[in-house]
Amino acid sequence: MTRKQLIFEKGYNALINNFTPEMDIKSIDFDTILPKSLQRNEEINLPDVPEFEIVRHYVNLAHKNYGVDSGIYPLGSCTMKYNPRINEVTARLSGFLKIHPLQEENDGAIELIYNLGQQLCEICGMDAFTLNPAAGAQGELTGILIIKKYFEIKGIKKDKIIVPDSAHGTNPATSAMAGFSIIEIKSDENGELPLDQLEFAMKGGDVAGLMLTNPNTVGVFDRNIDKITEIVHKYGGLCYYDGANLNPIMGIAKPGEMGFDIIHLNLHKTFSTPHGGGGPGAGPVGVKKDLINYLPCPQVIKNERGLACVENEGESIGRIRSFWGNFGVLVKAYTYILALGKNGIKNAAQNSVLNANYIRTQIKHKFTIPYDRINMHEFLVDANLPNGVNSEDVAKALLDRGIHAPTIYFPLIIHEAMLIEPTETENKRELDKFIEAMLEIYEEAEKNPEYLKKGPYNTEIGRLDATLAARKPCLRD
Amino acid sequence: MDYVPHDLETIRIMLEKIGVENLDDLYVDIPNNLKIKQLNLPEGLSESDLLKNLTELSEKNHIYNTSFLGAGSYYHYIPSLVDSIISQSQFFTAYTPYQAEISQGMLQSIYEYQSAISRLTEMDITNASMYDCASALAEAATMAFFVTKKKKILLIEGIHPEYIETVQTYCWGRSIETETIPLDELDNKLTDEIAGVLIQSPNFFGDIEDISQVAKKIRSKTKKCLLIQAMSDPTCLGKLNPPGKNDVDIFVAEGVGMHPSFGGPNLGILSVKKKYMRKMPGRLIGLTKELHGEKEGYVLTLQAREQHIRREKALSNICSNQALIMIASLVYLVSLGKTGLKNVAMQNFQKANHVKQALSQISGYKVLNTKPTYNEFIVKCPNINKLIKKCKDDNILPPLKLSHYFPDRKDEILICVTEMNSKEDINKFLQIAKEAAQ
Amino acid sequence: MEFPTDLKYLATHEWVKIEGDIATVGISDHAQDQLGEIVFVELPDTGVLEKGAVAANVESSKAVGEVVMPVSGEVTAVNENLEDEPETVNSSPYGNGWIFKVKMSNPSEADGLLDAAAYQATL
Repeated sequence: MTRKQLIFEKGYNALINNFTPEMDIKSIDFDTILPKSLQRNEEINLPDVPEFEIVRHYVNLAHKNYGVDSGIYPLGSCTMKYNPRINEVTARLSGFLKIHPLQEENDGAIELIYNLGQQLCEICGMDAFTLNPAAGAQGELTGILIIKKYFEIKGIKKDKIIVPDSAHGTNPATSAMAGFSIIEIKSDENGELPLDQLEFAMKGGDVAGLMLTNPNTVGVFDRNIDKITEIVHKYGGLCYYDGANLNPIMGIAKPGEMGFDIIHLNLHKTFSTPHGGGGPGAGPVGVKKDLINYLPCPQVIKNERGLACVENEGESIGRIRSFWGNFGVLVKAYTYILALGKNGIKNAAQNSVLNANYIRTQIKHKFTIPYDRINMHEFLVDANLPNGVNSEDVAKALLDRGIHAPTIYFPLIIHEAMLIEPTETENKRELDKFIEAMLEIYEEAEKNPEYLKKGPYNTEIGRLDATLAARKPCLRD
Repeated sequence: MDYVPHDLETIRIMLEKIGVENLDDLYVDIPNNLKIKQLNLPEGLSESDLLKNLTELSEKNHIYNTSFLGAGSYYHYIPSLVDSIISQSQFFTAYTPYQAEISQGMLQSIYEYQSAISRLTEMDITNASMYDCASALAEAATMAFFVTKKKKILLIEGIHPEYIETVQTYCWGRSIETETIPLDELDNKLTDEIAGVLIQSPNFFGDIEDISQVAKKIRSKTKKCLLIQAMSDPTCLGKLNPPGKNDVDIFVAEGVGMHPSFGGPNLGILSVKKKYMRKMPGRLIGLTKELHGEKEGYVLTLQAREQHIRREKALSNICSNQALIMIASLVYLVSLGKTGLKNVAMQNFQKANHVKQALSQISGYKVLNTKPTYNEFIVKCPNINKLIKKCKDDNILPPLKLSHYFPDRKDEILICVTEMNSKEDINKFLQIAKEAAQ
Repeated sequence: MEFPTDLKYLATHEWVKIEGDIATVGISDHAQDQLGEIVFVELPDTGVLEKGAVAANVESSKAVGEVVMPVSGEVTAVNENLEDEPETVNSSPYGNGWIFKVKMSNPSEADGLLDAAAYQATL
């Protein structure tokens, strides 16, 4: 057999584990509690697996996975920095982990939510933050719904959002969820937003706002940023900052001062909370004063009596999920910000930019860099190598060298895009290892391209057939 | 403490190789007027000071000896191996499994989760998880709109108030109309204009609804309308008829295996009938084989549904799952196994119904549920404030005052009893209830 | 790459074969090539649709293409073979890879479609 055993195949047909408290009250006839017609008739099709088998099964699976702890993880726009272990400890303090979201004795949790919101306001130059959104994408939805609410309450009909062609795919998808359609503007040769086209689009009068990532997804800071926000405001639009790339500018410049009205952050990127293999994250949303009333509920506010929890007071977009968001993630981000402090935050930003520029300058003599100038925390490579070796082939060759691949095929504006973001927590040895691997792969593309096209070879499993997976979906055992 | 490894000499060498003199030179693109002098934040802390600071803060929250509070977040016993497994660093420090060849551990775990939930619910297909039950329900409502192209959703009273509000927010975004109605009005309201009917069972007040009857009604009166069931605490499925047996089109629920953590993170289960597989939101993992070999392995699949490909035409912008919590839920289910899950469900049924019966014997208390209940039920109290205060005095997290969500219902409480409430806890609570009635 | 001259085309990459009042619809060789390996074809329900309405979707593992109604009318048949063998659209876009047939309600709409040369000029 070529397939690895599933946990379901490691079970027995009898009770083995004993986790549940002893039943200490007298049971009554179950049929008097729940009529037979509502009862489950068949056994649950899950085996009873001995505890040790379960632990071994999942520890072995974990060992087949690559994490930040395994080595450099230069995924562009994902900010895969070290996840400090103290964060894991603080989030598991029983006063955080075991409190009920509806209990009234919650001063510590409310204070943490308020304090973290204040810290994020200071870092981003905003006036208030909601920490409720569960992920970056949900933060985006929250922000776009705030834009919708703003115009709805003002009684102004605007139904379009501008995004640059280098935007994350979530931007158009999110806009559609709030009933907006998209105007896409093509980035110029410097990777920046052309002002004349922006102004032309805004003149239409039906544009509610602009969604922008800055530094953008090609890794450069848009030098016209204050002019951009000025143009959008001139025509009555709002400026939305996609905070995916906040890491290189935190402590250096504030999106709020660039003229942005709304911002979402990804605590799992910039603020070191672990990605968890795809979640849980957190996507706080910050706004300027005029938009505070539209924030989702509940919120923590400060009044003359201290901190208070407030529900929808009429103008809120409403609730976007239950309770207070991914609170455990908030504890980790709060711990991180306290650890870094004002100087640490700036230092982290600067070194993320240092590391990215270091890699760029050490591989640019071989690789095509479409926007070759001082970049921020990440940079874009057009991995169109000799003999038809492409971005995916380079990625797989990196895996063969025990290195996680950068983001590939994003942003869409470069065909063989490879977006490289090393983050500030990588040391120079690790960066040099990556650089050396990239140069070696380039050389291999010249000499032995066919080998690269069929890689990887040294991994748990070879390149997989994604087409087969989608044609004949097998989504469960 | 900033977790940056470089010393000054290393930075100097790197700057030299880049060809600039100092770190500030890397920020030439940012206009000077936008550069700030300094953040108005304190200096960083050492790890020991962090621990002290956060411990003090956490201690401002009260931890009770026992709890009779549920209402969407439940205390169940969580086997120790759950936290041990989600603390495996290659799980929790990984990103989304884009590079399948070095992510088979996470990918197989997701596949096992999809399988385990499908087995538990008897639904055909389960995705890799949503943020929570509330947002999963909202996305399910959107899905009903995408499948039927109809723009009205009916919500049946008894859905968790926070889920209802979440559904309303998402539906407002897409201009989908929502209406909340009592179950007995469903007959009148069911027309061919309805995209989906949302119902929770066991519902917020504890009632277990006969979902199969609701399904029959929908099928007999409409052609396309979807039946969507929500559930706050799926541990009941150890004994309760699963949604897959009740002709449910989409099933959503909160995850299992996590501590409350002030309400998050947890996850949203989302399972569907097979015919809706390509219309569902969220991440899906599929089995496939090597291109140049014979080994089987797992990949992210059916991605044409998702935002990075379908962009503004995508059903949802979701581009993650609650992967680590998903592993916790999976390990919880596997640890308990069919025997343990049955046992937990049975204990919750028996203990909660024991308290329900006992309270109804105490003069002044009236149980308001007329349908069967799982681990929650509502009671009208003679002196609600006295009851709540006495609970707190005895270090018991009291039941929910219904007025928290329904201001008119001042005398009613929602009581939750689980396997975590021992006989002593229960007797103490009943004693308090008796005293509070006097 | 082929563009049969007996077919009509849309700038959105559909081809149409007119036989009496029946129009057979598929996607062009160029479209299938751009999409890459096709993994799924979402076929329309039978019923009446207006010209320009989205009738079907063609999915590859990296992209998705919409197939719009080239003319108004009633969808009378769909190519059910594509449910199991969507790759036929790649191998035979103008033959066995047809997607659906429409009974035209206003055959004159077909006059506005592009011929092979005009379509090729748009690529």
